Amino acid sequence: MEFKQVVGNRRTIRFFDPNRPVEPEKIQVMLEAANRASRAVNADFAKAIVCYRDELTDEVREQLKTPTTTVQIDLAPVTIFWYGDATFVNGAQDRLKELVDLGALPVTHGWTHPYVDDLVYPQVLEPLSKDQLATTWAVSVEAGLAIAQAMLAGVDEGLGVGLHAFNAAGAKEVLKVPDHWIPMWILLVGYPAEDAKGGGQRPRRPLSESYYRGQYGNPWTEMPEVTERLKREGMIQDPMPADASERMREIKGLAERFGLPT
Amino acid sequence: MTDPDTESQGSVRQWAAGAGLDHDPAEARERKLGILSDFCARVGKQPDELVAFCILRKKATGERFLSVKRREAVNDWLDKFAAEQGWTGKEAVVNANVVRSFLIHNGVFIQGRVWRG
Repeated sequence: MEFKQVVGNRRTIRFFDPNRPVEPEKIQVMLEAANRASRAVNADFAKAIVCYRDELTDEVREQLKTPTTTVQIDLAPVTIFWYGDATFVNGAQDRLKELVDLGALPVTHGWTHPYVDDLVYPQVLEPLSKDQLATTWAVSVEAGLAIAQAMLAGVDEGLGVGLHAFNAAGAKEVLKVPDHWIPMWILLVGYPAEDAKGGGQRPRRPLSESYYRGQYGNPWTEMPEVTERLKREGMIQDPMPADASERMREIKGLAERFGLPT
Repeated sequence: MTDPDTESQGSVRQWAAGAGLDHDPAEARERKLGILSDFCARVGKQPDELVAFCILRKKATGERFLSVKRREAVNDWLDKFAAEQGWTGKEAVVNANVVRSFLIHNGVFIQGRVWRG
């Protein structure tokens, strides 16, 4: 699938086909996409545990649920628990110097071993690692980049995906994650039982409300020809119609299939 | 048979309006109200009290919040109730979710079992 089509096709899927297995090969594609994400200090910020629903005991599955995530976790054949590693500074000096040696961090831009050893590590990274708020910020942003790539790779593989909060305490106990892993999101994965396009793209505000040129207050001006091209190429798709009756009928049908409340 | 007090409760009227119970066939409507009524009798709470049970207030500010533990308790009660009624399979899921529908339409975000059969 073309990249713009992938971006345009992504929806938060809430109704998965519970009985259609997800191929581990496709999960590997998602993990590799995460592994290829941009990252500061070439650190492995994002950590993940892939759980196949039917490989978990009933008891463990119950521990992972909350009263607000039960339906999704029961329907999705795969749940990926995403964490961010707060110890990303460990080994950062060596990784940065490796990038210097490889020419990824070029001397033309000021990168040398002494710069890494004498300035970057002691004056930036080490203090950052001791500041819990700054660490959480860095880990969250960097892990988010990886999670987004995994999510889009899943869409590209024809899967449905959805990010949700999770019961971090229950998961820590069940998944035995180390203390320095900060809980991020769960990414539910499966084949959609609902229309993969979810009835249309979710409402979004125009670019001018969030994006600026030069300075705040000077909104980005959309070029209509670009907008039209993105419509042709699938990034911008028809929005969910104001008359939601068709979507409501679909939800009713899904509720009947899965015995869910309406 | 529905307890006559059940339908007089504000929370039940809100559920009926939100879930379109009044547009259901009479038999389906009666069945749903009966399940709620029986469940409420089993746990010793009126419908309004069941909703209130799920919503706590912070002592310091009086701010309302949904209690995870209380919702987990309701889910446990529903599992036991379904077993006592002899419901199995999809019937157990659907009927327990009638009570969850009542709570959901009264602002209690609660999820329970899914029929994957």
